[in-house]
Amino acid sequence: MSSREAFLTRVKQAVADGNRAGAVPSLPERAGVGYQGAGSDPVQRFIAELANAGGKGYVVSDVDAVMQTIQSIVQAHNARRILLSRGGLIDQFALPHKLKDAGFDVQTLDDMQANPQEDFFHADIGITNVHRLIAETGTVVMASQPNEPRSVSLLPPVHICLAERSQILPDLFNLFDLFSPTATPDRSLPPSCLTLITGPSKTGDIELKLVTGVHGPGELHVIVCG
Amino acid sequence: MTNMNYAQHEHHDFLNASAEALADPTLQKALVRLTDTLMAGNRKGYAALADSSDLRDHAKRIKEHTLAHLDEYLVQLEMSVHKLGGKVHWAATAEEARKIVVAIAQAAKCRHAVKSKSMTSEEIHLNPALEKAGVEVTETDFGEYIIQVAGERPSHLVAPAVHHTRESVARVLSQHLGETLSDDPKALAMVGRRVLREKFRRADLGITGANFAVAETGTIVLVTNEGNGRLTTTVPRVHVAIMGIEKVIPRFNDLPVFLKLLARAATGQTLSVYTTIITGPRQPGEVDGPEEFHLVLLDNGRSKVLATPFRESLQCIRCGACLNACPVYRRIGGHAYGGVYSGPIGSILTPLFDSVAENPHLPHVSSLCGACQAACPVKINIPHMLIGLRELQHAHKPSRLERWAYQLWSMVLCRPRLYHWAIWAARVILGRRAKAGWIDQMPGPGAEWTKIRDFPAPAAMPFRERWKELS
Ligand code: SF4
Repeated sequence: MSSREAFLTRVKQAVADGNRAGAVPSLPERAGVGYQGAGSDPVQRFIAELANAGGKGYVVSDVDAVMQTIQSIVQAHNARRILLSRGGLIDQFALPHKLKDAGFDVQTLDDMQANPQEDFFHADIGITNVHRLIAETGTVVMASQPNEPRSVSLLPPVHICLAERSQILPDLFNLFDLFSPTATPDRSLPPSCLTLITGPSKTGDIELKLVTGVHGPGELHVIVCG
Repeated sequence: MTNMNYAQHEHHDFLNASAEALADPTLQKALVRLTDTLMAGNRKGYAALADSSDLRDHAKRIKEHTLAHLDEYLVQLEMSVHKLGGKVHWAATAEEARKIVVAIAQAAKCRHAVKSKSMTSEEIHLNPALEKAGVEVTETDFGEYIIQVAGERPSHLVAPAVHHTRESVARVLSQHLGETLSDDPKALAMVGRRVLREKFRRADLGITGANFAVAETGTIVLVTNEGNGRLTTTVPRVHVAIMGIEKVIPRFNDLPVFLKLLARAATGQTLSVYTTIITGPRQPGEVDGPEEFHLVLLDNGRSKVLATPFRESLQCIRCGACLNACPVYRRIGGHAYGGVYSGPIGSILTPLFDSVAENPHLPHVSSLCGACQAACPVKINIPHMLIGLRELQHAHKPSRLERWAYQLWSMVLCRPRLYHWAIWAARVILGRRAKAGWIDQMPGPGAEWTKIRDFPAPAAMPFRERWKELS
């Protein structure tokens, strides 16, 4: 018997030995249990929860305001190298051009050569789109794909992301239903990496003192447009 | 030691270790601060959910169902991971698991491993095995990094370095890095960032645990606050995740049930900062993420537990809430328990995984107050199982002295006049020694008892006499 078969035989036997007759529970349906929702104003709820987690939210109405917000964050950090992911609002607002014109050292995925990792490690600020926002928890959802590498929202010390109002989901359950074979039979597979970001990187390992930015970005800025 | 592989690092002397912890004022202060803060978070976290109790029941039922069909879900998980281009490995023991991971590292020619905090890899003592095979291993959770450098073991599920102070961290890191570091926590954390970034940049192997795995999609989930879990699964070209078989859940949309509870129970956060949900290796066109994905399924005693009434202990999602709630853990800390898993859940897992006979004290390290169960996101009935373990112990090795004592006790109980007389004698003898309702020094064999805990003084008037008055 292969080790896999022996393994499974053992587990199967243990399952049978431990199952009490008549007490094997069926897979429970959740119905509405645990759904919190976002109340009447999901944008405000998102911004408030994000602030609780230590992030900063901005609600802006046009592209000029987006640029202003980004510029003030960049200047506050004296940042030089800005790393941008591709597509979505970033392209729609022509952010790479605008930031270049404003005199910043801009690195897009198109500029990258054979070894993008070095560029990722050296950036001061990463700007991304988002997959979704979750109002209940103040969470930014990133889905990995060719236009949205995992590193842009991870390696630079500051992460700025752009979202549309319509990307806000009320509750964590809504996100998982999007990829769930059970809830949505014609859904897409989950991406290779779906990341839920709730605030800046945190550690309390020394005397419980909260320190941000030990591994991931120490600052998280979310600009909600529209 | 009966089983070199297991949760226990050494069968150490529980009584001495706990006495040492109690006599350490720095540790006492740190434990109070940590557990008070996290317990306040736990209460606030549950209170913030409209129906936390129902959600916890639902989570528990999912776990019950999964464990009752565990073999089927493991096969489904394997199929899903294969479909994504990942590879699944079956490890019956810690030794097999170590061999599997070393073989993966060697086949892929990996020399520099980074690890995200994983209790499972602690359990199998992975680091020494990799180092022996010439692979450098770096713990990347900041707290785990500190204790790796210090050559210690984690002392809490979510705060592994709670037994350290800013001064001791500065000392340990200064010595290791050959620099003089300030003891400011922020500055120390930034030193950690700098050093660990270099490790990540060079790393070719990322090792993680898995908080959950989804059978229907082949997904694994990592939860961290620092982001080291993300780095570990982004930079290196090979990713190995090691998980206990009990971590599988059936459906993708069962995940939020547990995610909503895990961070709230652990710290009171709505979610931990980073929840990394990984479904297979990097896809075509992506520029980062691992090219190879391996999932190691570890039994190492779990199937043994699955077959017993202690199965419920496999529902644990390792949030640490029972540690924070426990009046015993809050005083003695994690190291005193001697195992990889400490606190109330550790008092169950260590004897079960290792040996009931070799861990005689652990089932008794509890006042059975039930605070652990009240804090637990899956409402595990820990007190009930501790009593069960005490019964097992008794069945294993009824001490002769104990047997005689109980025989004597039952003989006295069967003879009302003798009982009456014995109670009177006890009251006279013990009553003289009582101070403020407690006796801290008993005569004769009773001294063994009062060496480690006080004995309640007999009541001024026995119940039998009060009863006469009452009726
Ligand atoms: S037993 Fe419950 S409270 Fe304790 S660590 Fe496990 S899940 Fe958390």
